[in-house]
Amino acid sequence: MNSLFSGKYTWLHSINPSLKLLTIVGLFGFAINIHYLNFMLGFSCVILTLFIFGTGYSYKQLLLLSLPFLLVFLSTSSSMILFGKGETILFKWAYVQISEESLIRGIHLGFRALSFAMLGLIFALTTKPVRLFYSLMQQLKLPPKFAYSFMAAIRLIPIMVEEYQIIMNAQKIRGFEQKNNFLKRMQRIAIPLLSQSIRRAYRIAISMEAKRFQSNRKRTYYYEIGFSRNDLFFLCYFLVLLGLAYLLSIQYPLLPNTDVRSLSD
Amino acid sequence: MTSITSVKNLRLKFPGESEMLFKDMSLSINRGEKVLLLGTSGCGKSTLLQVLSGLVPQTIDIPIKFDEIQIPDQWGFVFQDPDTQFCMPYVDEELAFVLENLQVPREEMSSKICSLLKEVGLELDNIHTPIQHLSGGMKQRLAIASVLALKPDVIFLDEPTAFIDEKGTEQIWETVKRIWKDKTLIIVEHKIEKIMDFADRLIVFTPGGEILADGNTSMVFTQYKEKIKEYGIWYPGAWDEYKFKRLAENKFEYQNTLKLQDFKGYRIKEIKIWADDMEVQSGEWITIIGENGAGKSSLLLAFMQLIKTSGNYFINDLLVKKIKDISGLVYLVFQNPEYQFLTHSVYDEITYGLQNQQNIEADAKEILSSLKLTSKINQHPYHLSVGQKRRLSVATAFLQKPTVLLLDEPTFGQDSINTFRILEWIEQERQKGTIILMVTHDQHITERFATRLWKVQNGKIVADRQLNNSCKVQKEMLNELII
Repeated sequence: MNSLFSGKYTWLHSINPSLKLLTIVGLFGFAINIHYLNFMLGFSCVILTLFIFGTGYSYKQLLLLSLPFLLVFLSTSSSMILFGKGETILFKWAYVQISEESLIRGIHLGFRALSFAMLGLIFALTTKPVRLFYSLMQQLKLPPKFAYSFMAAIRLIPIMVEEYQIIMNAQKIRGFEQKNNFLKRMQRIAIPLLSQSIRRAYRIAISMEAKRFQSNRKRTYYYEIGFSRNDLFFLCYFLVLLGLAYLLSIQYPLLPNTDVRSLSD
Repeated sequence: MTSITSVKNLRLKFPGESEMLFKDMSLSINRGEKVLLLGTSGCGKSTLLQVLSGLVPQTIDIPIKFDEIQIPDQWGFVFQDPDTQFCMPYVDEELAFVLENLQVPREEMSSKICSLLKEVGLELDNIHTPIQHLSGGMKQRLAIASVLALKPDVIFLDEPTAFIDEKGTEQIWETVKRIWKDKTLIIVEHKIEKIMDFADRLIVFTPGGEILADGNTSMVFTQYKEKIKEYGIWYPGAWDEYKFKRLAENKFEYQNTLKLQDFKGYRIKEIKIWADDMEVQSGEWITIIGENGAGKSSLLLAFMQLIKTSGNYFINDLLVKKIKDISGLVYLVFQNPEYQFLTHSVYDEITYGLQNQQNIEADAKEILSSLKLTSKINQHPYHLSVGQKRRLSVATAFLQKPTVLLLDEPTFGQDSINTFRILEWIEQERQKGTIILMVTHDQHITERFATRLWKVQNGKIVADRQLNNSCKVQKEMLNELII
């Protein structure tokens, strides 16, 4: 587990987390509004380059991490390609019919899904939760109440995973597994797991207040998170390369350049 | 002497309970006193700490009433569970959280964190260490460090060593005694041996939440000993006074054996526990000792076939390969009883999987009455008190009539009466011929009940000794092994 998620520290790690978050959300929105296949392709390449060379993880790690998303790519695009409607039929067999329109739309959709996944991974792989919440408090004025609650909750996740294992074992001993189906077993595990978690969350909240945590009071910060030249570089990377990708997609289209919206349904 | 914290005519009632926990209770504590609060579980000691610190009712919403209350200006609170005291993932971040709350300027934080850690004797190579990598004792000392940062006059300690092994307990009290020599301390603690000499005032509560005794330690223990004993509160010498006489061995009802040959247990391909050739017979009661993380629990899981094992493992000459082979033969009682509860009532719980057996109802009723759980027969197991839950989980094991009974700290956090009772039942099982394997930190159990001792170190059983309860040399040998 740990080896899968441990990589080198790169310039992407040093980007202000709030800026990174906003940029990536912005890019999500932007990607939804790309309707030309060639530009979508260019967009994906820009993201892919950053994903492979910027995150500081080895190729093997990146490949493993993106496996589930490749599956998403294949399933979204293939279902669109195989079953989408269209007039220019290229191939037909039983319920499967591939038309030019569905092919274009499928590829377009697949790349969109893939870009989303990679953007999400870039963010997740290069952002420490603690830094993110400190930045959100400092730059975006998130109330400390929420920020520290989230940080405390993240601390609980590994404890819960361990506890899940213990409860599974404890119930196996009582011969519960052999007699019941999966759903019933999950139900029996969920109750002690939840009861423990609620108790823990409650205790953490009390101990936080015992340490004089007050949400309305001014506070100082252990990590001061500001901006650096890397942040400018980060923004320019997208502006310049996406601009370039746009120009290239118009000048030298690799694929037929149609607006996917104009394709009839 | 001026009082630093006090309450007059306190009344408190938990929502949903019919009885009031405190009824016109008054208490005053002077500056510089080291007060130890004793009482059975559920008598309200911990709640009282929360009232005196102002956590009740400000943070914890429990309806209370009082004529007067004096809450100290500067106080700190050390809680019981080392895993629920921290909200940040790293040591430095956790201490910084406290400093941030106090609005300490950022530039001063790093040096402050270092000096706090040094003061509690938590020397780390790197202050940016994950809290998860610390042992229980170290976590509690981190909690003490964060309380230290608050510069408190009064420190409330709510069973800070309840989840900690012997060595960690010593470190915690050593630290507390060193850094808070001249502060006011209010302590709730069951394991009183280590702090008896430190406390100068002792307050004993009745199970109903009334003050039974209040005064200096030696006076209270001599004058109120009978009552304290009756309530089952641990007192110095409770073990020495407990008369346990092992009956002469008669024939066992069943003759069982457990045999190991080059037995290894693995977690993610790493050897976690390793035993050479061993043989265990009916009538043996083995206690397994060792430091936290030495592999004691892994050993029990390996016997239960819940982790991968290699080598040979026989029960009554049956070669065990997977968990199905031992169903009905081996039973493990977990440390947290809640994990093992499956049904919605105490009776169903105790008869789970046995409904088809003859006489099950009578057997179940008998064991429930000896456990003092008869009145709870239709209750949900989750609604029982901590002690009752533990008794129920041990009782379920007995009804299964296993050949080998594995127990992980079965007397943990129990009062003296329950501890002795649980141990006596286990002894009864042993006399029938059940092989007992028990992980415990309690040296008294090893000295008095065990017939054999295994010491686990770095995943290996490094010592295997036969114990003889009458032997005088034994105590020295035990001490040597435990250190």
